[in-house]
Amino acid sequence: MKNAFVTALLVLMAIPLLIGVTALPPHGSADAPMHTHVSARYVERGEEEAGAANLVTGVLLNYRSLDTVGEVTVIFTALVAVLGVLISFPAAPKPPDAAGAAGTARATDHAAPTQPQVSPVVGFVVRLLAPFIALFTIYVIVHGHVSPGGGFQGGAILGGLFIALTTVLGENRTRCLLPRRGAPWMRGAALLAFVAAGVIGAVLTGYFLGYPAETNHLATELMLLGIEIGIGLGGAAIFATIFLQMEEE
Amino acid sequence: MLEAVWTNVDYVASVVLFCIGLYIIIAKNNLIKKLLGLNIMETAVFSFIVALGVLDGGEPPIMGEGATGPYSSPIPQALVLTGIVVAVSTTALALGLIIRIYRQCGTIEADELREME
Repeated sequence: MKNAFVTALLVLMAIPLLIGVTALPPHGSADAPMHTHVSARYVERGEEEAGAANLVTGVLLNYRSLDTVGEVTVIFTALVAVLGVLISFPAAPKPPDAAGAAGTARATDHAAPTQPQVSPVVGFVVRLLAPFIALFTIYVIVHGHVSPGGGFQGGAILGGLFIALTTVLGENRTRCLLPRRGAPWMRGAALLAFVAAGVIGAVLTGYFLGYPAETNHLATELMLLGIEIGIGLGGAAIFATIFLQMEEE
Repeated sequence: MLEAVWTNVDYVASVVLFCIGLYIIIAKNNLIKKLLGLNIMETAVFSFIVALGVLDGGEPPIMGEGATGPYSSPIPQALVLTGIVVAVSTTALALGLIIRIYRQCGTIEADELREME
């Protein structure tokens, strides 16, 4: 009964979507509205106006930079919300009736909390690849405005590296990557970098987050680079913090 | 009709993926599975928006030496990048809430939670 209902609902949902989708201009055609309006201008003049060879970065950090400020605020707010949800109700100690297999597993966990049990293959591969992943992160972040990549992508890779290392080496050995005094600044790095670049832009051009792309190319590149590095570090720190907070069971 | 489906098969694939995600959200009982379904729906929307910006024979919108047009539209890619970050944020928040529900109620099955009220 329930299955029939769900199927009917899905079909009802899919039919208008399919009708709408088939009525769109053919996929990949050059005269679709997507390519003829504002996007054409971005492609034509984006490089000199935005100061970034990668037009996606140009759109993200220059034409629609206020959008991106909002986006950075969203991840920061997500971090605050996760911390608020989890800290206000910490994990209760297991009730004694949950004995048996689970109880013994917990006991062994407590015996060796620093060194998690992972397969030697996984441990070796993560240790072997970690420096290369870190190098790739730096490349993706720093080279992001002239090649595919950028702050968010690099931050995601760096956060993933931190999570992999924590899984293999244990929390105690990776926590030093997030030092107690520097961590709050790192978590806010994306917002701070954006505000700093915005103020610099205001001084140079008179507009918040304005870039002097056509007059001063070097300053524009430096501002873009600063924002990318800030987003990368900040994003990675936020992912790492959320992971550590969720791991504390 | 069938020809229109075939020329826009990229969009149709997004619709199918969207429906798969919706099915998981409705039919599955486990909150983590529901969250995975939500993520599949988000992926469907992102792939649809990116597919809108594709140009036949177009290059990635990266200028510089040796780059010749035509270029794919950069706007959908930038918007989807924003969307992905927001999706990650909602996923993190939802996982945090699920952990909290588990700590407080001891289960993450939707029907058991409904009985508990």
